[in-house]
Amino acid sequence: PNGSSSGGGNADKDEQITIFHDKDNFNVKHPLIHEWTLWFTKPPSGKGDNWNDLLKEVVTFDSVEEFWGVYNNITPTSELALKSDYHLFKRGVRPEWEDPQNKHGGKWSYSFKGRAAPIDTLWLHVMLAAIGETLEGPDDGEVMGVVVNVRRGFYRIGLWTKSVGRSMQGGGEGDTAGGKGRSPDKAKKVLEDIGRKFKEVLMLDQREQVEFTGHTDSAHAGSTRAKAKLTV
Amino acid sequence: ETSKPVEPGQRSAQLTSLMSARRLLNINDVAYPSGFVSPNPSLNTGAPPGKFNYDRKFLLQFSRVFVEKPSDNWETQLKQIMGDAEPSTARSAN
Repeated sequence: PNGSSSGGGNADKDEQITIFHDKDNFNVKHPLIHEWTLWFTKPPSGKGDNWNDLLKEVVTFDSVEEFWGVYNNITPTSELALKSDYHLFKRGVRPEWEDPQNKHGGKWSYSFKGRAAPIDTLWLHVMLAAIGETLEGPDDGEVMGVVVNVRRGFYRIGLWTKSVGRSMQGGGEGDTAGGKGRSPDKAKKVLEDIGRKFKEVLMLDQREQVEFTGHTDSAHAGSTRAKAKLTV
Repeated sequence: ETSKPVEPGQRSAQLTSLMSARRLLNINDVAYPSGFVSPNPSLNTGAPPGKFNYDRKFLLQFSRVFVEKPSDNWETQLKQIMGDAEPSTARSAN
């Protein structure tokens, strides 16, 4: 061998200056695997608002740096009015169960009673796990987005998945979320692993239960509470 | 210490850098300055170019570093979208 090939002079290459080297003069940024869109639900004014006027796209970003520019310059969850939501979803997916990419899916969610929970930190950590892609394995394909709801007497954080652990119409033959090539056992395990990761990010005690429900179960549940399909 | 104030209508140096920066292709090429950690290597072994997973510890390091508005007209846009969604109750810090 002709000696070490690494560590040699790379002076011919452009120098890579990150924001940590020079916060005002960097030339490389940290890409995210997906583009993410932040949405905001405005609290209803009580004057018969149209839902579509209340759900607003705030910004789409695809780098770590830009995420922080957004996060550092937007109202923290703890300061939002009641009935507000933030939603952080993969670009192209509306944060509604009717969206074609959500309609066969479900969500893990947990409600924090009262106002004692460090909601800004929890929501930040959930967003970081989403954009850093550490909530699921690289081929799971389940995570659609995360959401925080500000309600009277509680905060709720949710994680939306593409499937409910079953193959779906148009889901294809492969080992993908909703695909026929993914066995029910594996599909369930994928969802449960995501739920456990979510629970860990939310810093919940083992004794607490995080529940998974299908969107259509919730939508058709009427006044009765939808049955949780899975818990971790 | 806060970043230097930016005149209205003037783009911050930080945002200018963000808009012209290129996407990192190989994170293993980067030597982060001392005091900063790289992403957990186990997350990115064999990662395709530009497709990296980032752990929370790595991501939190940016929190005090990228502080400027993420776009021109950010505040105007935000006000249009969020309107008076500001605090419904007065919050006093202490």
